[in-house]
Amino acid sequence: MKTVDVDRSLCDNHGQCAIAAPEVFRMNPDGVLEYEPTFDDSLLDVVEEAIDVCPVQAIFLKD
Amino acid sequence: MSTPTVDIPYLNISDPSFAMQSEELRNAREASWYARTNYGIAVLRYDEVSKLLKSPKLKQGSAQWPAHNGVHGGLFYDWWTKNLLVLEGEDHHRIRRLLNPAFSPRLIKDLVPRFQALANELIDAFIDQGECEFIRDFAEPYATRVLTILLGIPESEWPKIARLASTVGLALGVTFKRDLDKVEAAVAELYEYADELIKDRQANPGEDFVSRLVLASRDGDRLSDEELRNALVLLIFGGMDTTRNQLGLAMQSFIRNPEQWALLAERPELGAKAVEEVMRTNPTVTWVTREAVEDFTYQDLFIAQGTTVHLFTQSSGTDPLAFPNPEMDLLGEHAPHYGFGGGVHHCLGHFVARADMSEALPLLASRLADPHLIGGDEWLPDSGNTGPTRLPIGFTPRG
Repeated sequence: MKTVDVDRSLCDNHGQCAIAAPEVFRMNPDGVLEYEPTFDDSLLDVVEEAIDVCPVQAIFLKD
Repeated sequence: MSTPTVDIPYLNISDPSFAMQSEELRNAREASWYARTNYGIAVLRYDEVSKLLKSPKLKQGSAQWPAHNGVHGGLFYDWWTKNLLVLEGEDHHRIRRLLNPAFSPRLIKDLVPRFQALANELIDAFIDQGECEFIRDFAEPYATRVLTILLGIPESEWPKIARLASTVGLALGVTFKRDLDKVEAAVAELYEYADELIKDRQANPGEDFVSRLVLASRDGDRLSDEELRNALVLLIFGGMDTTRNQLGLAMQSFIRNPEQWALLAERPELGAKAVEEVMRTNPTVTWVTREAVEDFTYQDLFIAQGTTVHLFTQSSGTDPLAFPNPEMDLLGEHAPHYGFGGGVHHCLGHFVARADMSEALPLLASRLADPHLIGGDEWLPDSGNTGPTRLPIGFTPRG
């Protein structure tokens, strides 16, 4: 398992991560990001895409 | 709509003399978070723009643009109705997932030396004269040649690309129907161009941007040839005029703020900040259009399904409620602007635009001291995407 962290002081809830990696990130009905910090190694590629695509670069892999 | 408790301002946003940076708009923003317009409502303040821009209750508002202009078929119509700007839901997300990796900031970074070389080459050509027509001599060739670099086509072909992009851009103007034949011919020519590029990269894939698009796959899914072609035309359509206009507006902003220009010349590492500050205070995309997908109430306002909602970028980026010192300040800490839109439709190419402009501006600042207007500037209206079409400037060559 791996861990991902979103810096909420930067996150602007654009939701691009939820498009790139819906397995880990999703927008709730109010348009606010919710996510699962730990994820299976098999999702690393899509999580890295989510990290790349974030317009404000608020997502970080831990360790 | 509900009965307003205060007088809701009215803005005629189709009037060619309507000005974003005006007393009228500042007064409206002070009185109310939104204004009524001749075409939907306009959202004026930062917090409300930020929330509505990303609201799931609104979708992109331009899907019906050709139909509104009496255009119901043809090459442009087919391209427009299938392009990422107007697609929604999973149709949009699927294409976006396949396009995104080619626009990764990690890959764009590799192009920085090319951007720097290009900026210096363009400046070299006019610096000794102490004046230039900034759009013709810098902003337009820079914006277009960045695209040719990205697409991996000879930079010498930039005038043709610029002409085709501008012609397709006529489709967004009020004279769209009258210009339809020209627009159709330009789309056809861009298609030929795109098809050739796609065929070439499919046969000889490399590490370049177009190859990445051609090879992009996700869960066994790929972009079809038609989708690739559509995306390349979108890149040219969306990437050229916007960057050209934004560079012109940047020059205007710095002419108005000479101490900021001097600071940028001294500290080129502020290039990225300069782009953010210019786009916050003087964006080319003056509003982002959304449409209500269902009836809903936001704050005190009932918004009926189908209502057009214009989210004003410059007005929100200089809103005193969010920016107590709204003036351009390269050393200030400011909340993010919405000059690249936001939400699921956030500009796809923003890393490219940010990277190329943040190289261009410090190089210009370091070589052109004291830029000033010398007369003869011509401007697009403030409605839609604005900026100078002609910007003669004088300066003192430096270094």
